Amino acid sequence: MCDDIVKVYNSGGKSVTALDHLTLSAREGEVFGLLGPNGAGKTTLVRILTTLLRATEGRANVGGYDVDKEESKVREIIGYAGQDSERSAYFRLSVRENLLYFAHTLRDVPRAIAIERIDRIAEAVGFADRLNRHFTALSGGEKQLVIVMRAILHNPQICFLDEPSKSLDPVTARRVRSFVKDYAQKHGMTLCLTTHNMLEAEEVCERLAFINRGRLRFIGTPKEFKRRVEVKETIEIGLNTLDTQVESSLLRLPGVSNLTKGTNVRLYCDDAFDILSDVVDLMKRSGLKAPVRMVEPSLEDAFAFLVRDDEGEVANNG
Amino acid sequence: MANPLKLFYMAVWRDLLTLTRYKANFLFSIITSALFGLGMLLFAFAFNTSLLEETVGSANYVAFAIFGVSFQSWQSIALWRASGMFQGELNTGQIDYTFSCPFSRYWYIVSNIAASAVQETIFFIPMLCVGLWFTKETLTAMGLMLGLVATMVSVAALAQLGTIFASLVLKYRQVTAIFGFFNFAFQMLTGMFIPLQLLPLPLQIIGQSLPQTFGMDLLRHYVMGTKLIMAIEYEWALLFVQLMALALIAKLAVLYLERVAKEQGLHYI
Repeated sequence: MCDDIVKVYNSGGKSVTALDHLTLSAREGEVFGLLGPNGAGKTTLVRILTTLLRATEGRANVGGYDVDKEESKVREIIGYAGQDSERSAYFRLSVRENLLYFAHTLRDVPRAIAIERIDRIAEAVGFADRLNRHFTALSGGEKQLVIVMRAILHNPQICFLDEPSKSLDPVTARRVRSFVKDYAQKHGMTLCLTTHNMLEAEEVCERLAFINRGRLRFIGTPKEFKRRVEVKETIEIGLNTLDTQVESSLLRLPGVSNLTKGTNVRLYCDDAFDILSDVVDLMKRSGLKAPVRMVEPSLEDAFAFLVRDDEGEVANNG
Repeated sequence: MANPLKLFYMAVWRDLLTLTRYKANFLFSIITSALFGLGMLLFAFAFNTSLLEETVGSANYVAFAIFGVSFQSWQSIALWRASGMFQGELNTGQIDYTFSCPFSRYWYIVSNIAASAVQETIFFIPMLCVGLWFTKETLTAMGLMLGLVATMVSVAALAQLGTIFASLVLKYRQVTAIFGFFNFAFQMLTGMFIPLQLLPLPLQIIGQSLPQTFGMDLLRHYVMGTKLIMAIEYEWALLFVQLMALALIAKLAVLYLERVAKEQGLHYI
């Protein structure tokens, strides 16, 4: 898919490297996830692959076509739903009219087929009752759903969805995820989606690439990704913050290699059972009351670890 | 790849649907067009009609000005519609989707301009009718047809300039100052409100290089029987030369500016 890609932006006279010699490839027909924190370079990569942006160095091809030299061929076979694109349709046209316009006019889908497909897809994602509403009357999440529908209406060979469920509620997001995955499998479509939603990546992606600071940090299955957390076990503490003294005491416990703070504090160690009572004691001594339990490491843990490793690396180099 | 004709008629369909859904705006645009034509009567009283007759062979300033104003409405569409469309697409992020689709950017722009011209014609018809009413002594069916053909060729040439401006939006995002400058120049130097022959010679030369000058001159000649700036065959020939030269430049500009714009990305964010 892309080979040694570099993308440098000029921003206010300064050069910013968004992609730094990135090489990766997705297999035909698979659901491939591009994972990474904000500013990692995921959207930049997708924009290069969808012919919207030119790479500074390196080569990329989609479906065997060079994105720079054969851009119209690439455009013939791709579908695309951009990030934050929930305003990107005609507000005074209905959902059905919008989808018909885009599919029939810009994607050359015959009118009758486009009409039939709009009904079928809307039915599958539970949107049939809103097809005649004006685009402007939809909620942000509903608009995003229309944009996802627009991306797949012409049955592209490869579809790029940039954070497709960002503004969807959890129920709709799940429905869209499962529909898009089924649709891709049924039509032999390669699906490339960017996300920092771990659940989404775990549920949908067969393989994923983790990008941070424009560099590839990992490529493999979600299971392999989780194994990147080089600890056997995890202890979760029901707090979202810790004072530095408690944090350093926890990190000094035997076998503890790391700690992350988010919705919960997560402690990574060699043997959770061995230190569980020490953690509880430490919490009691510090006057903290919160549930403490042993959990399986999740994809989110791997994500947090890789980002943290990169930050450490930058700090050391800096 | 989508063919230009489909891009055109689907854009007409989309625009007409959108237009009719802003009902009050739709109605008032039609009323304004008719009132504008009648308002030209007031100018007629203030204008030195004997000077007009001496210069162009007709003292009918009402019709002279109405045909100028009608050109102004099509000129606005031809020159600025595509730029406005791209600015809208940049703001909503739609440009990322449209530019990931396989169609000729040049024909996409030209088709959308043409679709808007169709829409604009709806509002233009009441004003044109008022103008035609004032030329009923000189008007013939053939004259009207030839006048409209000249108008279309001229507007098509202007649309090429509009295409160049639209591709500038891809690269420079905000080009309203360029719009303002050209709009003013086009109004003053093309004989829209004052006969070109009354301008100083250097300005006349500039005026003759602009696509609407001959279109407007031919329209008035066929409909009102005015004198032409130069021989009729030269005016037609120059009109077609302008159309072809500008079409070539516009095609190259779109190719070049899309490529340049893609260095930083087409999107706003």
